[in-house]
Amino acid sequence: MIGDAVYTIMFYALSVAAVLLALLVVNTRRLLRAAIWLMGVLVASAGLYAMLGYEFLGGVQILVYVGGIVVLIVFAIMLTSSADLLEDNPAPMRKIVGAIASIGFLAVTVAALLGSQFPLLRGGIQPGNDAAALGLKLLDYGPRGYVLPFEIISLLLLAAVIGGIVIARKVPPTDQPFTTGGDLPGEADVSRPRQQLRDEELTDITGGGQ
Amino acid sequence: MMEFLATHTPGVMHWLVLSAVLFSIGLYGLLTRRNAVGILLSVELMLNSAAFNFVVFNKFVVPATVDGELMAIFVIAVAAAEVVVGMAIFVALFRYRNTIDVNRMNLMKN
Repeated sequence: MIGDAVYTIMFYALSVAAVLLALLVVNTRRLLRAAIWLMGVLVASAGLYAMLGYEFLGGVQILVYVGGIVVLIVFAIMLTSSADLLEDNPAPMRKIVGAIASIGFLAVTVAALLGSQFPLLRGGIQPGNDAAALGLKLLDYGPRGYVLPFEIISLLLLAAVIGGIVIARKVPPTDQPFTTGGDLPGEADVSRPRQQLRDEELTDITGGGQ
Repeated sequence: MMEFLATHTPGVMHWLVLSAVLFSIGLYGLLTRRNAVGILLSVELMLNSAAFNFVVFNKFVVPATVDGELMAIFVIAVAAAEVVVGMAIFVALFRYRNTIDVNRMNLMKN
């Protein structure tokens, strides 16, 4: 009885927090604050996952989403100096169109939800060890297993890492030789002026290389 | 009061409506933001609520399996990959154009 009441109170508290924070995420003009509020939304969602009985998923959510993805977004904000700029308030027309589209979507979705019957099954058997069942399912290569998506996800993550490095790296000017920026001993330091660099290379080739 | 709260525990509809509300807020942000990172934040909101739907259906429709939970984990992994590539693209764009305002990304217009 008390447990049920606490459950209800926690559900409403977490959902109100998530919705308010999500509204702040889309409405604030400071992007860095938006990222921090997104963190709040994700933590609230992790709490909701835990309330549903999926503690492992809540932990993954906090580790990967809050600890990884939000930090990456903060990097993106810093590296594009969006933190210094206040974003302009969107034009009223754009606001109205956005509000109409999203409220319309919400209305259609809720109407569809209210009109549908789901084959609910409340008293099912929960697998005893949540994470163990998850791991077995993930590596199961039978007809209902997920080993192929698992491998595809690992390839996707690898591709994303390599793609991220390739897209965001500094492309050196074509008239300069490739350097590691002075990491290797004996290599020219790119921070010195170009003319000086050329002179040193010339002396390296003609005099110092013997 | 206690009686009322105990007999009104959230059912499947409450969870699904909460998820739909979060998704709509993300949609609003997607349509109104001009900064590309702001759009990425809104997309994260939408992805999160989609993963939430999977978990809710897993809990209320097939509680004996873990398929929905697995799908949520896949969504989280794909979101991570998306943010990595998105961040790289924004940084590269910012280096070339000095802005990531999506209204000014009209190079292919003419």
